[in-house]
Amino acid sequence: MAKKKNKQIIRPWCWYCEREFEDEKVLMQHQKAKHFKCGMCPRRLNTAGGLAVHIQQVHKLEPENLPRIENALPGRDGYEVEIFGMEGIPAPDVADYKRRKEIELGLTAGSISQPPPKRAKIENRPLSEEELRRQLEEHKALMGLNNPDNAGTPAGESSTSTPSVFGAAQAYISPPIPATPTPPIGVPPPGFFPPGMPPPGAFPGAPPPFPPPFPGAFPPGPPPPGFMPPFPPGGPPPPGFVPPPGMPGVPPIPGRPPFMPPPFLPPGVPPPPGFTPPPGAIPGVPPMPAAAPPPTFVPASKPPAGPTPPVGSGPSPTTAAPPVQPKVTTQVRQPVLTLPNPSLAQTNPEFKKPTDLKVKDANFSPDEHRAIHAKYFVAQLTNPAAAESSSSNSASGPASSVGQPQAQATEETRGKKRARAEDFL
Amino acid sequence: MSSTFDSANYATADSPPFDTISSLQFSPRNSEQLLVSSWDTTVRLYDISSTSSRKLEVRAKFDHRAAVLACSFSADGTRAYSGGLDTSVRELNLETEKITALGQHGDSISSMTYIASTQTLITGSWDRTLRLWDSRLPNAQQASFSTPERVYAIDHVNNTLVVAMASRLFHVYDIRKMDAPAQQRESSLKYMTRSLSCMPDGQGYATGSVEGRIAVEYFDPSPAMQEKKYAFKCHRQTIDDVDHVWPVNALAFHPPFNTLASGGSDGVVSLWDHKIKKRLRQYPKLPGPVAALAFNGDGTKLAVGVSYIWDEGDEGMSAGVTPWVGVRNVGDEAKPKSMTA
Repeated sequence: MAKKKNKQIIRPWCWYCEREFEDEKVLMQHQKAKHFKCGMCPRRLNTAGGLAVHIQQVHKLEPENLPRIENALPGRDGYEVEIFGMEGIPAPDVADYKRRKEIELGLTAGSISQPPPKRAKIENRPLSEEELRRQLEEHKALMGLNNPDNAGTPAGESSTSTPSVFGAAQAYISPPIPATPTPPIGVPPPGFFPPGMPPPGAFPGAPPPFPPPFPGAFPPGPPPPGFMPPFPPGGPPPPGFVPPPGMPGVPPIPGRPPFMPPPFLPPGVPPPPGFTPPPGAIPGVPPMPAAAPPPTFVPASKPPAGPTPPVGSGPSPTTAAPPVQPKVTTQVRQPVLTLPNPSLAQTNPEFKKPTDLKVKDANFSPDEHRAIHAKYFVAQLTNPAAAESSSSNSASGPASSVGQPQAQATEETRGKKRARAEDFL
Repeated sequence: MSSTFDSANYATADSPPFDTISSLQFSPRNSEQLLVSSWDTTVRLYDISSTSSRKLEVRAKFDHRAAVLACSFSADGTRAYSGGLDTSVRELNLETEKITALGQHGDSISSMTYIASTQTLITGSWDRTLRLWDSRLPNAQQASFSTPERVYAIDHVNNTLVVAMASRLFHVYDIRKMDAPAQQRESSLKYMTRSLSCMPDGQGYATGSVEGRIAVEYFDPSPAMQEKKYAFKCHRQTIDDVDHVWPVNALAFHPPFNTLASGGSDGVVSLWDHKIKKRLRQYPKLPGPVAALAFNGDGTKLAVGVSYIWDEGDEGMSAGVTPWVGVRNVGDEAKPKSMTA
C-alpha cells in the first residue's frame, strides 16, 4: 500500500525538531529524552499532555506558566498538539515536511506527498476526523495562522487543498531537476572529434605512435614553449631566456617587438607564424610574472582535415613547418612562488576559537611549496617535443646527458632525481 | 572510531612509492588495476587480482624526470597519462611501458581528467591554462584555455567540467563549449581549495578546503537548487581546547551509491551521505595523512593513499610517514540509508 511505499522514503521524524530516525521506537525514545523531559525532576513523560499534567500536579505550576517544550523548533514548543511518535502530527506539517524532503532528496514533486495524503493520513492516525480538525485548528492558532483562509479547511483535505502547501509544491514543480544539468549541446570545439569519427592516426590499443622527433612534431603555427618567435625583426633575443611577455616593470627589450597579439585568436585560425600570444589574454591580467614564460599554444586549428597523415607513415607531417630548430630549448625558472594575479590574493579569515590550522598559506598550496623545494624543483623546462620523442622508459638508453650543456648546469638541483633516457634524443 | 587500524582490511602494496602519493586511479575497464602517481617521479600500475587478493603487485612502472602530480587512464584502460612538475604531458602505454610525450604546459601540471566520450585528455596547470589533448593526433594538443588562476584540481561528470583554482575560484565548463566557462563561482569555503570531486549523478560536486570543511554544490543555477548547497566541518579534532584543523586532501564519490568519501591529513577516511547530510562511516584511523582516494568503477573497492602531504614543509618529512597504498573492499556501509530500507 501507499503507506509502505511512503515508509521507504520518509523515515520517522520528530515533529518538534524535525530530526529523522531509523524507526518509530527510536523516535519515541528521542521524544521522551529531548522533548518530554520534565525540567524540574528527572522524570520523562510519554507525551506533551502527560508532561503538562505532571508539571501542573507534581510541581504545582499553573497551566499558563508551563515551560515551553524543550529543544523544539519555534512554534512547535506548545502543549496543544498531542504528539506520540509520528502520531498526532498536524497534516499541514506532514505535507510541508514531505515537500521539503522531496526537494532535498531530489525527487520529483509529489513523489512522496502525492501518494494520497488523505489515505496516508487515515492510516497513520487512528484519531477521529473531529479530533484532527480540532488539533489542526489549535495548531494553526498557535502558529500565528499565516493562512487564515485555511483555518476552516477540514483536516482530511488539508494536505491537498491547503493553499500554502499546495502553492509551494507547485512552485517547486517549475524548476525541474534536469538529468544532466549542462547547457544544450553546442558545436564541438575545434579539436574534438565528433564521437564516432574514426581517429586519424593512432588506433586504440596500438602502441603509441612515435611522434616525429623533429620540427614536424610541432603544432602548426604556434611555436612550442620556450621557443622564441622565430624572426623578431631587430635581432635575436638572448637565447635560453624569454622574458615573460607583459611582465610588469620589465620594459620591452629594445629592438624586439613587444608581444602585442590581438586579444584573442579565434579557435581555428592559426596564428601568424612567429608570434606567441600570451596565455592570459585577459586584459589587465599580467601573465605569470614568474620566470616561466608561459608557452602558448593557440587552440589548434580544425579537426584534422589535411594535416594528419597516418602517424606511422612518416616522420614529419609536412604541414607543420614552423621555423624551429631541431635543438632543445630550455627555460630556466627560479624556485620562487609569485602570485600571478596579486589582486586575487587571499587571506585566511580569523578563527573564533584557538585553532591549529595545518595549512596556513592562503595563496600557495602545499604542493606548490613543495615543488620549489630543492629536492623536487625542476629548474628548466625542456621542450618535450624535441627532447623526448618517445622511448622505452625502462633503462633502455644511457642515462647520461649527452650534448646537454644546459641540462647539466641544473642537474644537481634535482637531487637524486636522475635525468632519464627519455629526456634526450 | 573505537576500532583501530588493521592493515588486514586492506590489500597493500609490497613496493609502494617511495614518496608522497599524488593521485590514485582505478582502471575504467578492469577494477583490479590501480594507477598510482607519486612525488618519487614514478607512475606505477598495480594489479590486485593475481595470486592472493591481499597484495598489490606492480604490473608496470614509469619513471619521470620529476615528481608526478596527476595521472589518468584512457577510456579502454590500455594507456595512461601523466603530468607533474616537469610540465610535460605524457602518454604511458601500459602494455609496452613506452612513454610518449604529448606536449607541455608552462608550469607544473596539477590535475587531469580523461573524457571517455571524446577520448580527450584535459590537463590543468599552475600556468593558468587548461589544455585539451588527443593522443591519436601527431599534434596532440588540441586547445588551450586560459584561466584566471592556477588550476589546482579538475574533474568532470558527463559533459560538465569543474575546475578548482587558487584564490578559491571555480569554473564550470561545458566540455563541448570550452571557450568560455558556463559558470564562474567563488568557493563557498573561506579557505584554499584542496580537493574536488563530481557527483556521479551529474547534479553537482563536492570540494574540500585546507580548513577541514567540505562544501556540496550543485550545477543547476536555479535558486531552488542553489539553496540546497551547504558545507560541513570534518577532519578536525579538539585537543586541549585547541581545534586542530586538517586539510581535506581527497574526495571521491561512490559511483553507484552517490555517497562521498573524504580523506584528510588527520589520517581519517569518512563516508558521507550528502543527501541527508549524515556520516555513514568513519574508517579506523590510518597510519598517516590520507593523500589520495579512489573508488573503482562499481564501487566495491576503495583505494587509499597514505603519505605526508607537505603541510609542514620539509621538516614534516622527517616525521617519518611511510607512503602506503591500500585497497579495501567496500560493502553496504557506503549505501545511503534511504536505499537499504
